[in-house]
Amino acid sequence: MKPLTALIADDEAPMRDLLRSRLQQAWPDLQIVAEAANGVEAVELGEKFRPDIVFLDIRMPGLSGIEAARRLYERSHIVFATAYDQYALDAFEQGALDYLLKPVSAERLATTCARLQARMRKNATAEAAPPQDIGQQLAKLTSLLENKGKPEKPTYLRWIQAQVGASLRMVSTREILFFQSDEKYTRVQTAAAEFLIRKTLKELLDELDPDEFWRIHRSTLVRVDAIAEVKRDLRGRQMLKVRGYPGELEVSRNHSYLFQQM
Amino acid sequence: MRASDINRVLDFVRDALQEASKVWWRFFDWLAVVEWRQLFLTWFFVMIFFGMVHTPEPGVWYIFISFAVKVLAGGKRKAELMAREATTQANVATLERRLMEAQMAALQAQVEPHFLFNTLALIGQLIETDPKEAARVHAHLIDYLRSTLPQMRQRGGATLGKQVELSRAYLAIMQARMKERLQVRFDVPDFLGSTPFPPMMLQTLIENAIKHGLEPKIEGGTVAVRALVVGADLHVEVCDDGVGIDPHADDGVGLANIRERLQLLYGAEAALDISTPPGGGACATIRLPYKMMEDA
Repeated sequence: MKPLTALIADDEAPMRDLLRSRLQQAWPDLQIVAEAANGVEAVELGEKFRPDIVFLDIRMPGLSGIEAARRLYERSHIVFATAYDQYALDAFEQGALDYLLKPVSAERLATTCARLQARMRKNATAEAAPPQDIGQQLAKLTSLLENKGKPEKPTYLRWIQAQVGASLRMVSTREILFFQSDEKYTRVQTAAAEFLIRKTLKELLDELDPDEFWRIHRSTLVRVDAIAEVKRDLRGRQMLKVRGYPGELEVSRNHSYLFQQM
Repeated sequence: MRASDINRVLDFVRDALQEASKVWWRFFDWLAVVEWRQLFLTWFFVMIFFGMVHTPEPGVWYIFISFAVKVLAGGKRKAELMAREATTQANVATLERRLMEAQMAALQAQVEPHFLFNTLALIGQLIETDPKEAARVHAHLIDYLRSTLPQMRQRGGATLGKQVELSRAYLAIMQARMKERLQVRFDVPDFLGSTPFPPMMLQTLIENAIKHGLEPKIEGGTVAVRALVVGADLHVEVCDDGVGIDPHADDGVGLANIRERLQLLYGAEAALDISTPPGGGACATIRLPYKMMEDA
């Protein structure tokens, strides 16, 4: 039987060194044919060398380990190596995917190697392909890890980009008090400064979180958290006071329902 | 009489009335809170005084008015004054509580277990392959932990010098891990070493630059830390040439925490600005009032 081959992918060189030296001790016959420093390289080298086993770090630049695995699992056995990450561990415990916890301990690696060897022998006799459901498991892992902790929710604009001199200022939406359209431009007001951007109020309305910003007037979007009080002026119009800004904002009749008394 | 004279007289009358009303309200407030015993005492002296000059009417009026005011409106006014004072105190208390919470949050900013495990693994690996490098990383880790763990944090750590030292230790460890993918540049003049600077802010910005800017980039890049005095302000800047900021990415707990703490410590005099330079990447700048030394 010809010696088995392996590929190691991790963006940190010392981690690759560690895994290689541990593997050489635990499984001297295993031939490490290549090392990759990012996800893209891992896929390239994986397709070129067609190793029997691929050790993949999960967090890598270019392409995550899971994405790389989805392109490699049909030819190679995948073993994930990951640092402490509760989400990942939970996901692995549910599935049948192999994983190593970084930093890799010699004992744990020995167990993994033994399991791999057993599986390879079985495969060699039965000519079996890798388990069919790995693709599904990887897809599940992707959705679990890539949006971990976040419920399925459309992503709203969180930063407004405003040209200031030669550079682009990134204004976090949490800093913004209100937007006001000003002929060609839209004025972005924070407690400390104001910026002019080219995005129209309509575009902003589509991209911003509707729970974060409310439209109170044809030309005004206000951040809900920044509202200090609502009152009526002598002419009966509703006026908004915003924390951190001395002026007042008019609420148009069409939007006054936002501030009806409960 | 000419118009300007009339105006002058009107001005004078208005000022006098304003002054009188001010005096009246002060007297009113005093009446509201004064104890009856003291009021009796003033009546007694007033009677003696006006008795001596043989014109008792003003004295009687004084007693009558002060008695009436005290009885009729004193209680309400007193309650109002006490309520106002209580509100002011409550505002101060709220502010103090928020400051304390923010400070606690900063203190509890713990070392990421991820980082600790990886660094220890790195040291373990280096002991076998490069013991000298292992010793170096080990020393950096000790420096880093000393200034990061709340229990270990020394007094007087809130200077720019200390914060830069901590960041250097952190970046040296990250360089040992990322190798040529991480370049570091410091441009902090020595004279700024003793300048007061809040703890863990610089560290958060640097961690962000690596985590969101450079780690996702295949070829890596440079983190540049720069401090300079601009007018009356201190600017501390962390720039990277990484992948830049995704406008849809949440700005995270770290930046919000820095903003909150700056607001509580310096009010409107300090700010955190984020920008993307023309060449790409991201720049975060903390601006705050420049002081040479900690106040004694």
